[in-house]
Amino acid sequence: MPSVSTQITWIVVGYAALVVVLAVMVAVRRGERPAWLDQMAWMLELLLVVRALVGLSAFRGDGPDSVSTYVGYLLASVCVLPIAIRSVEGDRAPWSSAVLAVAALAVGVIAVRLEMTG
Amino acid sequence: MSEAPRSGPHQVLLALYALFALAAGARSLVQLTTRYDEAPVAYWLSLAAAATYALGWWAIRQASSGHTGFASVMLWIELAGVLTVGTVSLLVPDWFPDASVWSDYGIGYGFVPAALPVAGLVWLRRQRRSPA
Repeated sequence: MPSVSTQITWIVVGYAALVVVLAVMVAVRRGERPAWLDQMAWMLELLLVVRALVGLSAFRGDGPDSVSTYVGYLLASVCVLPIAIRSVEGDRAPWSSAVLAVAALAVGVIAVRLEMTG
Repeated sequence: MSEAPRSGPHQVLLALYALFALAAGARSLVQLTTRYDEAPVAYWLSLAAAATYALGWWAIRQASSGHTGFASVMLWIELAGVLTVGTVSLLVPDWFPDASVWSDYGIGYGFVPAALPVAGLVWLRRQRRSPA
């Protein structure tokens, strides 16, 4: 049975992949960015916050191998998505969905790296 | 961002450049400060890559509002950097005991570092044809 943090990581990665696929689909269809995509992105952010909070437990005992690397991924995992969403605020053109796709892909990768360094 | 940028593919480029500036910068700073002696050349090159991405971000931002001059220099510098570091890392692996961002043409980042300047230059070509 994998640890709780590992299980949450897989949920995060799976959900991030879903957001990436949907965001790319919306962008390819050249439609306006729908509100539900933003809601899904915020939901992903919520999962990332949960993962980060659980990830704090890595500091118990010996702590992660490289503390600075781990803290870097921890901070990046919760900061990237809000910055991306803010950057396309008030812009619902197709390319704004692609920006969210990039951000969701990035946090998925960051979540995996967090798991590897924790 | 102060001004609302015109919507377009440059938004995706800007997002990627910002991400890579952050990723390469954080990575190189951690490596330079915590294990400098392991692979100083690779770590300094990673920092150079981070600086290139930061400058590239700014260059694309300028180009998106019609000032393509800096981008047409910067993106070629970036492409030359990826190709040079990528080739050297394959030919002289001894110089790279640990990987750099552009090692093996950016294999550690799914070759996105090799694709970015090419995508940027393609976009820039179109941008010059139809200035904002």
